Amino acid sequence: MHLSHSSILLKYFYKLSYFFLYMTESTTSQDIASLYRFMAQCMQYPDPEWMNEDFFNVFYNLLGTFGAITEGKEIRDAVEKSSDFIEDLQIEYTRLFINGVPHVVAPPFASVYMDKSIQGSFALRTLNFYREKGFTMEDNADLPDHLVHELEFLSLLAKEEDFAGEEEFLSKLFRPWYKQFCPRVAEETRHPYYRMVVTLIDSFTKEEEEDGFQLNEA
Amino acid sequence: MAFNLTRRKFLQTASLAAATIPLSKVVSAETGVAKASLEPKGTMGDTTVVGGLCEMCFWRCQLVGKVRDGQLMKLEGNPKSIDNGTAICARGNAGVKLLYDVDRLKYPLKNVGKRGEPKWKRISWKEALDECGSKLKAVVDQHGPQGICVFPHGASAKYPMHYFERTVGTHNVSEASFFQCRGIRDAAYVATIGKAPGEMVDMSNTKVIFLVGSHLGENIHVSHIKSYMKGLQGGAKLVVADPRYSASAAKSDIWVQIKPGTDTAYLLAIMNYLVQNNKYNKEFVTKHTSGFDKFSTAISEWTLDKAAKECDIPAAQIKEVAELLAANAPNVAIHPGRHVSWYGNDFQRERSLACLTALLGAYYVKGGWVPPKNPAKLGKTSWAPQEHGDEFNLNVINDKKVYPFKPPGTPTELIRDCAISGKPYAIKGCVVWGQNPMQTIPKQEKMKQVFNAMDFVMCVDVMPTDVTMWADILLPESSYLERHDEIKTGVGKVKATDKEPTQFIAPRMPLVAAMFERKDQVYITNEIAKRMGHEKEIPVQTLEELVDKTLASANITLASVKAEGGIHLQPGFSPYGVPEDFMVQLFNEDVAAAGFPGAPTYKAVEDVPAGYARLLYGRAPVHTFNRSQNNVWLNHEMPGNPVWLNDEVAAKLGLKDGDTVGFINSEGVKSRTTTTVKVTPGIRKDAVYMYHGYGSANPLMTAGVGKGVDDQSLITKIAIDPETGCHGMRNNFVKLTKDGKALDIPA
Repeated sequence: MHLSHSSILLKYFYKLSYFFLYMTESTTSQDIASLYRFMAQCMQYPDPEWMNEDFFNVFYNLLGTFGAITEGKEIRDAVEKSSDFIEDLQIEYTRLFINGVPHVVAPPFASVYMDKSIQGSFALRTLNFYREKGFTMEDNADLPDHLVHELEFLSLLAKEEDFAGEEEFLSKLFRPWYKQFCPRVAEETRHPYYRMVVTLIDSFTKEEEEDGFQLNEA
Repeated sequence: MAFNLTRRKFLQTASLAAATIPLSKVVSAETGVAKASLEPKGTMGDTTVVGGLCEMCFWRCQLVGKVRDGQLMKLEGNPKSIDNGTAICARGNAGVKLLYDVDRLKYPLKNVGKRGEPKWKRISWKEALDECGSKLKAVVDQHGPQGICVFPHGASAKYPMHYFERTVGTHNVSEASFFQCRGIRDAAYVATIGKAPGEMVDMSNTKVIFLVGSHLGENIHVSHIKSYMKGLQGGAKLVVADPRYSASAAKSDIWVQIKPGTDTAYLLAIMNYLVQNNKYNKEFVTKHTSGFDKFSTAISEWTLDKAAKECDIPAAQIKEVAELLAANAPNVAIHPGRHVSWYGNDFQRERSLACLTALLGAYYVKGGWVPPKNPAKLGKTSWAPQEHGDEFNLNVINDKKVYPFKPPGTPTELIRDCAISGKPYAIKGCVVWGQNPMQTIPKQEKMKQVFNAMDFVMCVDVMPTDVTMWADILLPESSYLERHDEIKTGVGKVKATDKEPTQFIAPRMPLVAAMFERKDQVYITNEIAKRMGHEKEIPVQTLEELVDKTLASANITLASVKAEGGIHLQPGFSPYGVPEDFMVQLFNEDVAAAGFPGAPTYKAVEDVPAGYARLLYGRAPVHTFNRSQNNVWLNHEMPGNPVWLNDEVAAKLGLKDGDTVGFINSEGVKSRTTTTVKVTPGIRKDAVYMYHGYGSANPLMTAGVGKGVDDQSLITKIAIDPETGCHGMRNNFVKLTKDGKALDIPA
């Protein structure tokens, strides 16, 4: 894509400001780390252990902070109206991400989209990236390219203020599959919770040129 | 959506600092990614992992896996193998795709919807096992152990099958490999030569290979095909009886384009010709057979002309085949076949093959039927056998056996009828383990009735299949590449020039660790046993222990075999030479006493009604029936199953090669899907043919669903082999449909 000088400058400016914020505001990078971890938590299999009132309060609060009050209310309605909202979300999680009828909607693994297989070479590339950064998978972990682990990894990078690593991971290993995954879930889900969670992750991991802030070329 | 967050916006939102504080309080402490304690190692090279034992089909070729960082990159034949060698077939190669199939079962699932229309919810193993244990126990408490029926298949199903049969004590176990496949063959040979024949024909050293219906080349078992090819390369003549120009027919010296269902008449005529013309092996018959006089009298009506008329083949051709066999006897390979549950008259056909082998003296001789001298039988570690009496044995009524020559287990139809009617007792729990009875057993509607009659249905499998939709609890099993298991034993030659064979013992070892929450059969069975009150009877704690205990009888261990490259080799012995006590019952008095013909007898099957063609099916070279239909590599190679249609018939119907058609059978059942027409002179006019194992109805199989036509859905007329109780599945008749209109097949 050809970018005009002004848009290149603008992009550069954003990167600089991002860079600057990271360098100077370490609390911000800790906030980013927390947010990644929270998003990872949102994508765990629903369990009353963690999916409790506190969790939803934090979730609604977060949505409110971003101006997504209507969406938060929609989720609250779905949760409050249900006789067993955990089971609703478990069924929906299973259908979307594990095994479903008519078929699993969106397995949360990068290599499903990049290699058309579980545990393809993309998963290995992902694991190698973790390793290069000094991280490893725990024994009880899921596959390295599982959405939850990728978000956990991004959180750890943010915590270490490795913003260059974070950006490289996002552009090379995260966005290429996530941008295929996200619309599948958003369009197919029958529960507003998952639509909101994948949108939240999407927004937060988008490249600047993807998010519509780029100036017209004219 | 009003919501419009970007990372940039987040960074600019000052208020967020406050909002994010509690985020950390609602997340769990552990993460799957953690700081490595050691310096990163960088990319690791490939390692070769030994000990693989294929189960894409059931021949069990020995494998090695090329593994990179825990990921299986490629499968190859184990270079140490003296069986398949370094070769594996297309299906074997595609095991990688089964392992990593996106649709594979990963976690225990509970159906919170209806049976057949499931709504799945992932549950913990504890919850799943508690549910299976308590529900099955409730069935046993209320209805007795006979209230449970089991449909097992494959290596992993043996341990749970023994648990339910021996420990729980139900007779109601039906294996597809017996009742819908090779059980008739085994039972017929046991009634003739005292043992199951396997496919132990010495084809590589033979002068004539004699096949009835076997389509080697489309049915691929690597070492078997190697032996077949070696025989052909060595100049063996090939005689193939098949209504279709199969891969074997294409290589044959004599293709007998026989009318379906009449094979026994053909065999009787050959035998009668040999007897009448003194072309049989008198020495062998005198020394090693019984009942020759009754036998020869019984088959004497089968002249060449009579058989020619019945089988719709030239009399001269039958004579030519008989002469060829006689001229080359005893070095002739009369193949017992494998899938033989065809017409409901199959026990007698298989008996005929065994008797023909005897007339030719072709037992235990070069090129004949020769059981290899395998390693001494390994110890059998499993649930301890217990006697449960015959009170609830559906195959025994008033001390009389319904199907006296049945293979092990209970004939499928006896179980289904009992489950549906509740008579003579209730069957209320069903365990399906690795079998897909929706696509292996004819009459799908009846199978659905069985499931609907149950209080509880559990399935264990690696993949979702047509039957898993009927489960209440669905458990994910580790595949053959992820677990220890099954021990393959056999013989081969290390070097082609070796005089004596070498024996091998190859236990299955995992090539990679099981992913997600998949578990093996010993874990699952033991946990259910504990919950059903059978903890004390558990024979082993782990699958590894089971294999090691079994190997101990050969004085080897998993570790020692692994160190040997995954296969243990030891000196073997020549298989040739007829044992002194070997006897062939040409006329079997026990069979006669049970009310069946003691000599091999032909019973005609129903003729094709006007306007219809007989539906024949067989194996595809790159698929193992419905088991592999979702494998993306194999699906890519053969996505559908075109129906073979005679070219003259096609011309009369106005059908061209590649046209799309559906089916309707003589009972009004329509195919769910369509397929294309393969127009060919290579099939008789009164039959159509398609590969079995297509057209899955389960949408969970994203690659296989709806591709081609499910032949089993059209097999609704059930024939039962009277001696064995096994199914005959080739007595169904179909019309093709085009644009919703049924087309009459011209005579």
